[in-house]
Amino acid sequence: MERSIQSSKMLYILILIVGVSTLYFVIPSITVAEQTPQTFLTHTGLVITTTGDVIDPIGYDGKALDFDPEKFMKSFDYGQVSVLEDGTTLREFYITARDDQIMEVSPGVFYNVWTFNDSVPGPTIRATEGDLIRIHFTNEGSKPHSLHFHGIHKAEMDGVFESIGTGGKFTYEFYAEPVGLHLYHCHVHPVEEHIAHGLYGAYIVDPKEGRDSAEEFVFVLNGLDTDFDGENNFYAANTIPFYYQHHPIEISTNQKIRAYVVNILEFDAVNNFHLHGTLFHHYPAGTDSVPSGYNDMLTMSQGDRQILEFSYKYPGLYMFHAHNTEFSEKGWVSTFLAKETADDFDNKVEYDDII
Amino acid sequence: MTSSKPKIAISAIAPIVLLAILIVFLLGPASTFLQFGIVLPEISIEKVEFTGNEIQATVRNIGPVDVNVVVADVNDRIQPAAIEPDMHLERFETGLVRIPYDWNEGQPYTIGLTIDDGTRFEKQIDAASASLEPNSELFVFLGVIGLLIGVVPIMIGLLWYPFIKRLGKNAFNFFLAFTIGLLLFLGLDAIEEAFEISDTHLASVFNGELLIATVVILSFLGLYGIGNLLIKRSEFSKLSKGLAISLMVAIGIGLHNLGEGLAVGAAIALGQVALSTFLIIGFAIHNTTEGLAIAAPLTRTKSVIGKMVGFGLIAGIPAIFGTWIGGFSFSPFFTIIFLSIGAGAIFQVIWSIFKFIKEGSDSFSSISIICGIASGLVVMYLTSIFI
Repeated sequence: MERSIQSSKMLYILILIVGVSTLYFVIPSITVAEQTPQTFLTHTGLVITTTGDVIDPIGYDGKALDFDPEKFMKSFDYGQVSVLEDGTTLREFYITARDDQIMEVSPGVFYNVWTFNDSVPGPTIRATEGDLIRIHFTNEGSKPHSLHFHGIHKAEMDGVFESIGTGGKFTYEFYAEPVGLHLYHCHVHPVEEHIAHGLYGAYIVDPKEGRDSAEEFVFVLNGLDTDFDGENNFYAANTIPFYYQHHPIEISTNQKIRAYVVNILEFDAVNNFHLHGTLFHHYPAGTDSVPSGYNDMLTMSQGDRQILEFSYKYPGLYMFHAHNTEFSEKGWVSTFLAKETADDFDNKVEYDDII
Repeated sequence: MTSSKPKIAISAIAPIVLLAILIVFLLGPASTFLQFGIVLPEISIEKVEFTGNEIQATVRNIGPVDVNVVVADVNDRIQPAAIEPDMHLERFETGLVRIPYDWNEGQPYTIGLTIDDGTRFEKQIDAASASLEPNSELFVFLGVIGLLIGVVPIMIGLLWYPFIKRLGKNAFNFFLAFTIGLLLFLGLDAIEEAFEISDTHLASVFNGELLIATVVILSFLGLYGIGNLLIKRSEFSKLSKGLAISLMVAIGIGLHNLGEGLAVGAAIALGQVALSTFLIIGFAIHNTTEGLAIAAPLTRTKSVIGKMVGFGLIAGIPAIFGTWIGGFSFSPFFTIIFLSIGAGAIFQVIWSIFKFIKEGSDSFSSISIICGIASGLVVMYLTSIFI
């Protein structure tokens, strides 16, 4: 009798163990009380009603981060200017490489960026043809890095065969030539890795006589392979996916716009640029004063640059994006908001007539 | 004796207390010391459903650390979405990701989710089909399917009873052995199915393979205990041994059919099966043999028609419950458990029939028995091709 009681106790213990473990693993934890559902309009125009969180890359707020695409696209680093005895303008720049920073690259997505001056892309270096450029480079990263500038310079200033070790310093010095839109990036092996993590930036050499006045923007077309599978998870103009879609770039109608477009996308052989509602004149590498075409499409391979000049006739919201729609649907999609200026009255009438 | 009771209690509890202290130490003071290696977060998309104009993915955190689900995509194109109850998933917690999307019927889709460290996880769906709306029509439909694949074929199989009853001893043994073959196949079939579901639907953290092994053995042991009890009782009561074994067979097959029904219901609900007439025919042929398995042990017992029909219902009706449960709320975990219970039960039944044959005949290795088992396996294999 006692034995059967004992064995039935054992049975209860067994059932208890099985029951508790089943409940623990299978029944999803009930965490929330009833909430009133909220309705959201998503960036694709669809509506979600939910009691939970909305996950939409719309919520990026540049203020919370060190990197602000709004500021970046209009920022040009002219360096510390002084004049040498022979009358040459000297521009001195201080660039520090790091590879330990974690940045929120899209709402909720944290990625280890490698940076020049704490920014991806690095600062846009700008000089005038013939200036002497002196760059004081410091590597504060844990890996060797370097600065490789496109353009005309001596071999020892090419930043390829002399990588700068951790804590190392190097001074690059060369004359700004030729006129155009160039590029700089780290050239330490494996270059793909160093570029994919963010070690690059735009380099502009203005002609001595200057260019026509225009509203100027820099767009560095890049991507982020956040899970290191050799494919980009996100694409963007200036790092943050979908940013300019939700923060339209405000411009004026009939205002000349000059866009400095640099393609530094890794993993995909070809990137492109498509502008809505108008066409642009484009200058490959910005080296020629005569445009090589009038188009609304540009195809660019890795490292390609183009200067674009255009203006909007009619006011409104216009998209510009990769016409490779995979890229645009993963973040490389942006907008211009063209606003009317006072002296645009004629156009306004015309615009109203059409409607 | 009584004075030693506290001692016994202490000796039972002491190791547990020490273990608890060890765990507290490891989690507390020693936690920094033990932090080596890289902790990889992991999520698993367990289920994808297609509704009106939404794709809904059930996601579970199966990694060692908490995660946030921050980006959703369809076919590797980022889509805005909502996640309920919220984007933060603790260990083992699940969330429902709702992606507004005008999906196309029958088209393959890959659903991807990216977590806070930028890692993307995905699940592929071979063909999108609208998830079933729970209504009375579906209830009846699933019930009819369960009836057609469970109850009806078993009842038809029972009609072999008069035929088997007239057989000589060798032929009778042949049919008992035939039953063993059938059941052996069913057991293996259930285990295979459980592995398949474990592979495609169950997160690796649940150790599907070990779960199946554990439940099969538990089920075998449980049924073994019940079976022994039944057979022991049959010695003292009017309940004949044949009847007891037949009941065991019916219970075993019933548990098996519950699992099978769950799998079929889930397949319908997940739109993975184009439910054709052929499938129903296949299941019907396959399961008719189950009726034979129930009838065979009864042939040496008298006046059993009523009981036999009852056993048939015990074996068949669980299929209906299976299709309902599987169709309305598919849980890979429970489906695997029930398939494994069914497999364990069936192996126990095989054991009982072996013993039954052994007691009734002098030589166990007779040609009729070997042929019977072999034929049973072959017949089941052939009928399984139809499914």
